[in-house]
Amino acid sequence: MEQKKGFKLGLNQKQGLIGWAFLSVAAALIIVMNFYPMFRGFLFSLQTGVGANMEYAGLFNYRRLLEDPQFRQTVSNTFFYLAVQVPVMIVLGLILASMLNSKNLKFKGFFRTTIFLPCTVGLVAYSLVFRQMFAVSGIVNTIAMNIGIMDTPFNWFGTAWSARLIIILGLLWRWTGFNMIFYLAGLQNIDQSIYEAARIDGANVLQQFRRITIPVLRPIILLTAIMSTNGTLQLFDESVNLTGGGPGITSRSMSHHIFNAAFQGIPQIGYASAMSFVILLFVGTLAFIQIKIGDKR
Amino acid sequence: MKKLLVLLLTLVMAGMLLTACGRDDAEDVAVNELTVWSWDPAFNMFAMEVAAEIFERSNPGFVLNNVEMPWETIDMQLTTIGISGEHHLLPDIMLIQDQAIEISVLTFPQLFADITNSGINFNEFASGKTDFSVVNGRNFAVPFDNGVTITAFRTDILAQAGLTIGDFTNVTWNQFIDLGRQVLDTTGMPLLSTYGVGASFMDVMVKSAGTSLFDANGQPNFVNNPAFREAVDRFIEMVDAGVMLLPGDWSDYIGTLAAHDVAGTLAGCWILGTIQEVGPAGVWAVTNIPRLNIPGGTNYSSWGGSSWVITSNANFDLAVAFMNYTFAGSTELYDRILPAAGALSTWGPAAASTVYLEPQPFFGGQTVFADIIRFSQNIPDFMGGIHHYTAMDQIDIALGNIINLGMSIEDALREAEAAVRFEMGL
Repeated sequence: MEQKKGFKLGLNQKQGLIGWAFLSVAAALIIVMNFYPMFRGFLFSLQTGVGANMEYAGLFNYRRLLEDPQFRQTVSNTFFYLAVQVPVMIVLGLILASMLNSKNLKFKGFFRTTIFLPCTVGLVAYSLVFRQMFAVSGIVNTIAMNIGIMDTPFNWFGTAWSARLIIILGLLWRWTGFNMIFYLAGLQNIDQSIYEAARIDGANVLQQFRRITIPVLRPIILLTAIMSTNGTLQLFDESVNLTGGGPGITSRSMSHHIFNAAFQGIPQIGYASAMSFVILLFVGTLAFIQIKIGDKR
Repeated sequence: MKKLLVLLLTLVMAGMLLTACGRDDAEDVAVNELTVWSWDPAFNMFAMEVAAEIFERSNPGFVLNNVEMPWETIDMQLTTIGISGEHHLLPDIMLIQDQAIEISVLTFPQLFADITNSGINFNEFASGKTDFSVVNGRNFAVPFDNGVTITAFRTDILAQAGLTIGDFTNVTWNQFIDLGRQVLDTTGMPLLSTYGVGASFMDVMVKSAGTSLFDANGQPNFVNNPAFREAVDRFIEMVDAGVMLLPGDWSDYIGTLAAHDVAGTLAGCWILGTIQEVGPAGVWAVTNIPRLNIPGGTNYSSWGGSSWVITSNANFDLAVAFMNYTFAGSTELYDRILPAAGALSTWGPAAASTVYLEPQPFFGGQTVFADIIRFSQNIPDFMGGIHHYTAMDQIDIALGNIINLGMSIEDALREAEAAVRFEMGL
């Protein structure tokens, strides 16, 4: 008996070990699939040269970033999308979720499915459909002309603001339902009796929304805000397929610019990797700020 | 015990998952099969199909795996495969745009097979064409079509405006635009369309004057370049006048031809394959392109010629035998693809063929191919350069800035030149 004692694990230790065993598989996959490429990407970002002929050049690529007016333009485009789209989407998602959570609403399942459905559509597919819709001879212009809002077709992709607007519209259509589902799930955890009590105390719908719904949903709002910030900063498909980044580069996103640096013309992998790490920096900083502001636990 | 088993199974499964991801394509490739990547089913892929048919006669059981892949995708694949070093993903043979050969060989020396001593006789090809695929004295591609630029019009539309194809022959861009206005006024139809934003079109205009977007030292030359400036001015004038449509990408461009939204087009002679599919037969006619109104301006240029490369992953002997027997050795191949697709050969022996002299009923009896050969002999020499595509990207942006955002031409060109210099690391 005594010899075996050295190998005997306590129940807690045993369970802990099993837990680690399960974690280790996922962790190994994440390390191989995510962290290793990121590490290689970081090494790339310290190298310059074209194609296969790369050599280390320290922070050259990062210094170069600061002198690239086109990168600056794409950064400001992307932050514009972020600043407009994320707040609008979160508010819209909250409103839709509250409406769907109302006890008096009929055909709840139908509305819930319809609003969620856009996020089952492929990014490229919906981008192409939006492009067709807003084409000069597309359905939007046709309808607007038939009901008399416009006399001549408007070239939606011909001005910077309309092109950016269409990207934001696309993002809202595609992602609002996705975020709404999170809020809806959160709302269903709130006891209806809290709302009843508030109503008895004379709180109107807006007050209930501000004083009950928002505080309860705070962690979920935080989660969706971080996810949408992350997603918007990495915006790519819409920029490439919906507007082509045009006119000029006024609607081009950072990721689109990175893609072009890496895959169009002479491959500048080092420079593209450096730009990617700048996005990582942005995402990390913003997520940190959001957590600091949003998490009151 | 049970838990241990579960743990073991999980680990085994995870291990399998990981190895499955890294597994090589271990399938035995049929010895008599070649995989080819190219674009344009009416032209390049059609030519490959005919070549395979001819090769199969002397090599029974030969199988061609003819994969359609847009040039943009091939370009991207080259970069991805080049950087990752996963060369086993390459096909045996692929088509590559002439302007991209040198840069690809220089950036990723491992991608293409050196075919200098493969037995293919490169002296039989037009030297100006072969130059595109010679890097440091080594041959890396079998030249294919030469992309002579042509203007092709539907004479029935021109007739409605009281014009003939002769009115569009040997003209300047100014005259061309005036004629275009005349056609637009009487028929309501724009004269032509092109794809993308217009950089390729612009490149053709610049090349027609024997000039380049780069100076003798290889530096971008946009601002103080009279030929380029004249090209930009005329292009913008055409777009503003509604004579030129800019439908967007390649398929939208083909769409304007298929839907007969335009009176014709200006492109490389590879467009003849598409035109013959679109029809209507009997009314199309071909002539040379307008010239820039500057010293040295000519009515001849080239657009988008391409060549076949054998990759480092190829079944080398079979691929060489195939190319040597067909694209570098079969007059029958060129005799068949010429009338059907407008594939104008750069292989000397094919030019002696009588097919070139035959009147083409589709083009109202015009001896189209003899005319195109005549055009090809007049194309001025021009410089390529490895930064060609960088320049094209920035010119597209500049054109968007001018046409859509109202930026002045001077500012847009200055920005574009600065951006190209930036990308070149100057």
